[in-house]
Amino acid sequence: MSRKRKSFSLVLTTLLATTLVVSACGSKADNGTNTAGSGGEGASNEPTAELIWYTIGVPQKDLALVNEEINKYTKEKINATVDIKMIDFGDYTQKMQVMAASGEPMDIMFTASWAFDYVQNARKGAFMEIDELLEKHGQGIKETLDPAFLEGSKVDGHNYGVPANKELPAQEVWRFNDELVKKYNLDIKSVRSMESLEPLLKTIKENEPDVTPLALVKDFMPLMPFDYVIEKLPMAVYLDTKDYKVVNLFETPELKSALDTMRKFYQAGYISPEVATTTSVEDLYKSGKWFTDRASTQPLAENLWSASYGYPVTTTPAGDAYTFNWSVMGSMQAISANSEHPEKAMEFLNLLNTDPVLRNMVDSGIEGTHYEKIGDNKMKNLPDAKNYDMPTFSLGNLLITYLNENDPDNKWELFKEFNESGIDAPLLGFNFDATKVSKEIAAVQNVKEEYWSSLMTGTVDPATYIAKANEKFKAAGLDTVIAEVQSQLDAWRAANNK
Amino acid sequence: MILAKKKQRDFHQLSTPWNVVFNLFAGIFAFLCVFPFLFVVIISLTDEGTLAREGYRLIPSEWSFEAYKYVFQTGDTLLRSYGVTIFVTVVGTIISLLFIAFYSYAISRKSFKYRNFFSFFAFFTMLFNGGLVPTYIVVTQLLGLKDTIWSLILPLAVNAFYIMILRTFYSTSVPDAIIESGKIDGAGEFGTFIRLVLPLSLPGLATIALFSTLGYWNDWFNALLYIDNPNLVPLQSMLMRIETNLQFILQNSQNSSLGLEALRNMPQDTSRMAMVVLATGPIIFAYPFFQRYFIQGLTVGAVKE
Amino acid sequence: MKMVGGFLKDVVKNKVFLLMVLPGALWFLFFSYIPMFGTVIAFKEYRFSRDGFWASIVNSDWVGFDNFKFLFSTNDAYIITRNTLLYNIAFIVLGLVLSVVMAVVLSELVNKKLAKVYQTGMFLPYFLSWVIVGYFAFSFLSSQRGMLNQVFAYFGWEPVQWYSDPKFWPYILILVILWKAVGYNSVVYLASIMGIDKSLYEAAMIDGANKWQQIRSITIPMLSPIITIMTLLAVGKIFYADFGLFYQVPRDSGTLYSVTNVIDTYVYRGLKTTGEIGMSTAAGLYQSLVGFILVITSNAIVRKYNKDGALF
Repeated sequence: MSRKRKSFSLVLTTLLATTLVVSACGSKADNGTNTAGSGGEGASNEPTAELIWYTIGVPQKDLALVNEEINKYTKEKINATVDIKMIDFGDYTQKMQVMAASGEPMDIMFTASWAFDYVQNARKGAFMEIDELLEKHGQGIKETLDPAFLEGSKVDGHNYGVPANKELPAQEVWRFNDELVKKYNLDIKSVRSMESLEPLLKTIKENEPDVTPLALVKDFMPLMPFDYVIEKLPMAVYLDTKDYKVVNLFETPELKSALDTMRKFYQAGYISPEVATTTSVEDLYKSGKWFTDRASTQPLAENLWSASYGYPVTTTPAGDAYTFNWSVMGSMQAISANSEHPEKAMEFLNLLNTDPVLRNMVDSGIEGTHYEKIGDNKMKNLPDAKNYDMPTFSLGNLLITYLNENDPDNKWELFKEFNESGIDAPLLGFNFDATKVSKEIAAVQNVKEEYWSSLMTGTVDPATYIAKANEKFKAAGLDTVIAEVQSQLDAWRAANNK
Repeated sequence: MILAKKKQRDFHQLSTPWNVVFNLFAGIFAFLCVFPFLFVVIISLTDEGTLAREGYRLIPSEWSFEAYKYVFQTGDTLLRSYGVTIFVTVVGTIISLLFIAFYSYAISRKSFKYRNFFSFFAFFTMLFNGGLVPTYIVVTQLLGLKDTIWSLILPLAVNAFYIMILRTFYSTSVPDAIIESGKIDGAGEFGTFIRLVLPLSLPGLATIALFSTLGYWNDWFNALLYIDNPNLVPLQSMLMRIETNLQFILQNSQNSSLGLEALRNMPQDTSRMAMVVLATGPIIFAYPFFQRYFIQGLTVGAVKE
Repeated sequence: MKMVGGFLKDVVKNKVFLLMVLPGALWFLFFSYIPMFGTVIAFKEYRFSRDGFWASIVNSDWVGFDNFKFLFSTNDAYIITRNTLLYNIAFIVLGLVLSVVMAVVLSELVNKKLAKVYQTGMFLPYFLSWVIVGYFAFSFLSSQRGMLNQVFAYFGWEPVQWYSDPKFWPYILILVILWKAVGYNSVVYLASIMGIDKSLYEAAMIDGANKWQQIRSITIPMLSPIITIMTLLAVGKIFYADFGLFYQVPRDSGTLYSVTNVIDTYVYRGLKTTGEIGMSTAAGLYQSLVGFILVITSNAIVRKYNKDGALF
């Protein structure tokens, strides 16, 4: 019996010891990073700064390999190395929120209007304000970027992130399955508005019973001449506004007429009856059983679409190219508020956005392993490229990346032209601070989720549902929110002479 | 032994008509549970193009192993994930069974003066928690477990729900008389526990072990939070990442660059289903190991004598 | 002094038990109690500070109960509270009945091999994530390709627009959760049945009790402690809803919100744009508090009738 007891205490002691050792290890590791960090800061530029960089995308097999090459290069250039950490698209926002809130050490991180929300987190203090750093170490960035990028991504008058130089405005196009266009000899050039699409849809509906004439998902929203204060909430100003009056979308004639058209299309069977719960029509694209849909475009997008579907896709514009807040903030890299080496981080970002060698190494990997050069600024993927396939648009200046073998030589010229063609949307540079009305926003958001998809896709009758939704929006406090937006907008106009 | 079995049959058997009814009841329910899973297997073996054309079919017109080929392309990544999952599950279950078995035994004993305090101490954590960020800080900064295998094991090691269940098992299936008899024999609390209580509570322990095995096997959230190192990603987490990536990208498909670039390499329906099959398959075979304790019960006589 | 002495004496007297609870208690301390301090965010407008989380908490402004207000500000508050409560009550009651029945049935089957096969089968739904369960529900309920509407068409019945008609959903959701959870939950009861002293049945046999009488007067009473505990624990979670069930399975269809919107989905949808962690913490705290009060109350009632059946 006493032996038993002894062995029991032994078990417990071991367990305890394990716990203690584990925690001891933990604190030791902690101390380790701390000393390293403070050491780097203390002795100006002698020791190499080690930057931690979190960015979005599926982690790549050869990342460590490429990272090593990158470090050789950056160490020589700016005496800094980076530790690149990739987090999957779907996990990025949540994981970054937790890490930022807990004060995890990091230096550079990806942010955008659609992942780890830039404006929100800038306001909450996750990012370092970089006005001065840009001046000091980011001259290259200022030179290469279209000024609208830095202007449009200001939050309360300051910059908190470096936008990637890529397509600047957003333009919607109607995409067509070209095989069907050819088969019925349809004239797509005359299409622009929803109404002008109808005769084509009718032809397809009558002749191709298996084809979905207008392939939509639940997020669809008819194109209307508004600049929305918050994406997909019913507060907006007219795109051609002079007085910057914020209107309730549900009280505008534009919405009424757009939804009447949608309803007509829905009842005519041009749209899938289940559109209000459909999240993806990939199966239609794959099987080619669709005729048209609407998408955001960028130069040469037709080629990319055609290549990925395996049959020709043609497009025609559905509206003009406008530069919105969200299109400016489509892809940015910010410096963490708790960065130990903000200056080095900015130097690195500057290099990333101006130096083709570094930029292409980050994007395409190692020459000779992942790709080979077939011209001055052209490259060809090697079989190993599948082990290092990065989301190009998220990693800085797109316009200095090498062209793929099939790209036309003037690809980046086309991008520049496209960027210059963009019209500034009225709210460009204005970012609403929702703190004071967060309670109302939460309620409004719930009302929106309830009615939006079924209304916007024509699933329900707008004649009754617009009024119903509007009533519920008002009960949720939409008017309070609009009033708050208006007062912030007026203040912003006064400050910016708009 | 044979005799005991025979005797048990006599007083423990259902009449034939009722046996048929019971079989039908359990059988139909079981079938309804298995059916969707069979469906998963079928979809994973369907040709991708056929799936797009015909939708889900019980007997697709074209079969294909493409999906599995696609998943196995990653080769060592998949194997390593299996390794991580199996290690975490085995070690985690052992640790968690030890912690929980001791804790719940102590609070099941009436002679333990602080049993109510410690019961409440455990129970309270079922209702209140500090939320994601504070837990994250404890694990990464206080315990320093970030990017270690322990960050997949320790956060799931103890669970008040299991403690409460096991406590009830002890107090119902182990009569006080047995514990008293142990005392009379001169065994200490610990000796009584090991020699008399544990063998009698095997069904309960097996239940907790099973739950915790499944918990570890199915966990993906801790990996999401604490693991950056691709070599430490468990299987379910791999599966979950594919799912959430796809959903996220579809939700943001109006973003042109994201839609164009990210969607092109996303696995298709069939490969995702193949992942489900691969991630669930092995654990189904581990199941019978626990099952014998709560289907056949104990040969109680053997323990008592 | 005397009290301290008495305390020390108690500790020594209970030292084996105390050693037994020590590892678990330490775990609770680290993984539950220390993080609980973070709950104060519910009363703060959380802003980052560069010195980490605790500094952020200290530096953020107190806002009193402001973060809780969004839960109660509209008449959705009534709908989400009603839905959450009613569904949970249905799950607790039906889940309990079905799991216990299933456990008794499985334990009584003559062929143990078959029983094992059934039971393994019942466990499979537990492994399917809600996203995948959502696909299946869709393959049954889709208005165009769904199996149910195809069957309806075969009989010449009108097809049903399942995803836009709220009246079916309370039944669908309850069926789905039962389907997913019964296999898992019945294990607890099955194990309890196996733990019952067989001599009780022997004695009953000698007294001439038939199978039904044995189930009624031995199996069920012997199961009652575990049933009580499981129910008490479920009551504590009565204000929580399974997000995946209510979000993925109805495919987030707006027209169904009157019967599918629960506290968890409401909070998720409401905070999607602002991402205030203060507000989500507040919602969690509210859910916990209600559960806590309900458990304490029901525990007190249980205690009154049966001291050993209570949680603490």
